[in-house]
Amino acid sequence: MGGESNNEGEMGLNHGHDPSMPLYAKTDPYFSSSDWDPVVNGGGFSSSHYPSVVMDNPGMSCFTHYQTGSGYPDMPASLLPFGDCGGGGGESVGRLMRAGESHDQVLDDGVLGSSPSRKRRQAEAESQRNKKAVEEYQEDTQRGSDQNQKKHKDGQNKESSQSEEAPKENYIHMRARRGQATNSHSLAERVRREKISERMRLLQELVPGCNKITGKAVMLDEIINYVQSLQQQVEFLSMKLATVNPEVNIDIDRIIAKDLLQPRDRNTPTLGLSPFTSFHGTIPNISTTANPQYNSLPQTTLESELQSLYQMGFVSNSSTMSSFSPNNGRLKPEL
Amino acid sequence: MERQIINKKKRVFSVEPNKIPPSEVFTRKYTRLLVPALKKLNMNKNSSQANQLTVKHEVDMALALSAQEFAWSRFLLQKLSSSNNPTTTTSSSSNGIRIQKRSGKEGGDEDGEIEEKLRELQKLLPGGEEMNVEEMLGEIGNYIKCLELQTIALKSIVEDTT
Repeated sequence: MGGESNNEGEMGLNHGHDPSMPLYAKTDPYFSSSDWDPVVNGGGFSSSHYPSVVMDNPGMSCFTHYQTGSGYPDMPASLLPFGDCGGGGGESVGRLMRAGESHDQVLDDGVLGSSPSRKRRQAEAESQRNKKAVEEYQEDTQRGSDQNQKKHKDGQNKESSQSEEAPKENYIHMRARRGQATNSHSLAERVRREKISERMRLLQELVPGCNKITGKAVMLDEIINYVQSLQQQVEFLSMKLATVNPEVNIDIDRIIAKDLLQPRDRNTPTLGLSPFTSFHGTIPNISTTANPQYNSLPQTTLESELQSLYQMGFVSNSSTMSSFSPNNGRLKPEL
Repeated sequence: MERQIINKKKRVFSVEPNKIPPSEVFTRKYTRLLVPALKKLNMNKNSSQANQLTVKHEVDMALALSAQEFAWSRFLLQKLSSSNNPTTTTSSSSNGIRIQKRSGKEGGDEDGEIEEKLRELQKLLPGGEEMNVEEMLGEIGNYIKCLELQTIALKSIVEDTT
């Protein structure tokens, strides 16, 4: 019986998983697309990580994560009962129930949902257990009365109970009410929190070094710090780029020149000869940029030699690098 | 902008879209946008002070233009077009105070702290304050990714020029 209920419970959980997918996918197609590998492991935020993850059972899902509860002495009281749902669900309910064996019934009933059906099932279960009929009946009435009490207290019990295991829901509502105002409000909030927790898990994979962190606050801290550090890095790099720019000037121009001057090389010998002669003693002002080597060349350079030296110039001997800076002003008008 | 769209379309037709990882698409777009912009800047260079701001502006602009599928890029573009001074990362440096880890002892307090931190995060994301929290958390994910790619691209550009 317990096994059955667990299976049904899991199936219920998995079933609840699907309708939520398009919800999330709608808002963030890139998270669910398989292409965006860095963002999501293996595409889709689905079952690879959270085999029993649930969207429709907000009371269940997030708390499989917090199940052990060891790290959360400070977790709100409303959350703790949920933590038991995954594995030791029977135990928690058993605590609530007065008799140990009745928890099986409760699980069955919970899985099946709303209170009227639950009472029906309870009646059926009772009929099956003839020996303990009296006890069960007593349990039932007690349970029923308790549930009725809670129903009175919590206005929209049915709505929430349909989405979760009802008797647990009933009992847990008692506890949950400490942290949450009204039932409908808490339900909406719970759904919202579920979404938030899901996305935070995705972020956990994005931010390096956050795999071991469990806990919203710490996780958020890490995310904030990471985003800030990334932004600062970008700022720093752009400042560096700005300061490097004066020399970048040459390189970018060189890149432009490399593209533009290839066809222009035919013309340069005629043009280059005159400046070459005039600037013989100084750094030559031929259109190619990094070629102070021209100083040592004979004046009657042919086009082919120009081209070969043009290419050689990019090897950038260290001795010639010093002559770069004076080229600053000269090169611009050349280009 | 139109050319960008045309380029985007060209790329989609010429290469099978499913095979290009989005990170590569972004990086390519980014560098193709940024390097010519920087070259243009270099041509019109005035003072170094103004240069820093404009470089930052171009950097942010390139980021926003390369990531137009995401909501935050629209907000970033708005910010950039409204003011010439980039405001995205300057806010981060002003908020550079490291958020102290406070473990809430009570249930109510912890929730409040989490809310506060979510608001902090919203401030970091361009346009984050206009979104609701869930949407913001989703957008933060791809914002982080794009920031990472941007830093890689910037690093390579800087290394290339030094």
